[in-house]
Amino acid sequence: MTTARIIIRNDIQELDRIREFIERHGDEWGFSTKNVFSINLVLEELITNIIFYGFDNDQVHDILIDMQLRDDQLQLLIEDDGKPFDPFSVDTPEDLDKSLEERRIGGLGIHFVREIMDTCSYERTGNKNRLLLSKHVK
Amino acid sequence: MEIVDILQDGVVILELKGRLDTTNYSFLEEKIMKLIDDNQTLILVDCSDLSYISSSGLRIMLMGLKKINSVKGKFILCCLQDNIREIFEISGFTSIFSIFPTRQDALKQF
Repeated sequence: MTTARIIIRNDIQELDRIREFIERHGDEWGFSTKNVFSINLVLEELITNIIFYGFDNDQVHDILIDMQLRDDQLQLLIEDDGKPFDPFSVDTPEDLDKSLEERRIGGLGIHFVREIMDTCSYERTGNKNRLLLSKHVK
Repeated sequence: MEIVDILQDGVVILELKGRLDTTNYSFLEEKIMKLIDDNQTLILVDCSDLSYISSSGLRIMLMGLKKINSVKGKFILCCLQDNIREIFEISGFTSIFSIFPTRQDALKQF
């Protein structure tokens, strides 16, 4: 089993560090370009949600991202100390097959996460939100 | 992300280079709003060198399409890399955007 973790602040500029983290470990762990792209996208969508909506105060918070690779199974954990929120309780947007005039702007991020990952779950442990995701890679 | 704009036969070609994400989508938003203000509403977005897009980037693309359509202009995309095309497909955007494989094909639509 191989593991890697990074702790970022609740600042949108930290997305650059996430990109570097994924590219570096994706390369080391032999991920395809497509998987690096997909995992980067999943993390951006989930972390952006946490940074924009997860905290009621202006204080600095840490967000943990942990990746484990066992055989060809990638497990992701994202942990934050924001207010309780299960992003997977939100339904998939219903207007994906609607015409331009009917389309609302937004609501796509979690849809991407669900499409890309094989499993997605949420748990609240103490004062922490924990998002657990897995995907078969390679 | 870098945006190169080229005016060719009345069409503004926007070449997007790099990554379009939550940290920089506002550059593209400002660019599109400026073009509308300047009455430049024939727009081709060339994505040959666009390597990454997230939902923030897609929202701006959708906003651009809606705004340009509302002033009877054209907002056309070309040259999507495979990973980007797949995200457009997952979003259901391939049915609402005009997307062409080459710049030459796209330019014929104006």
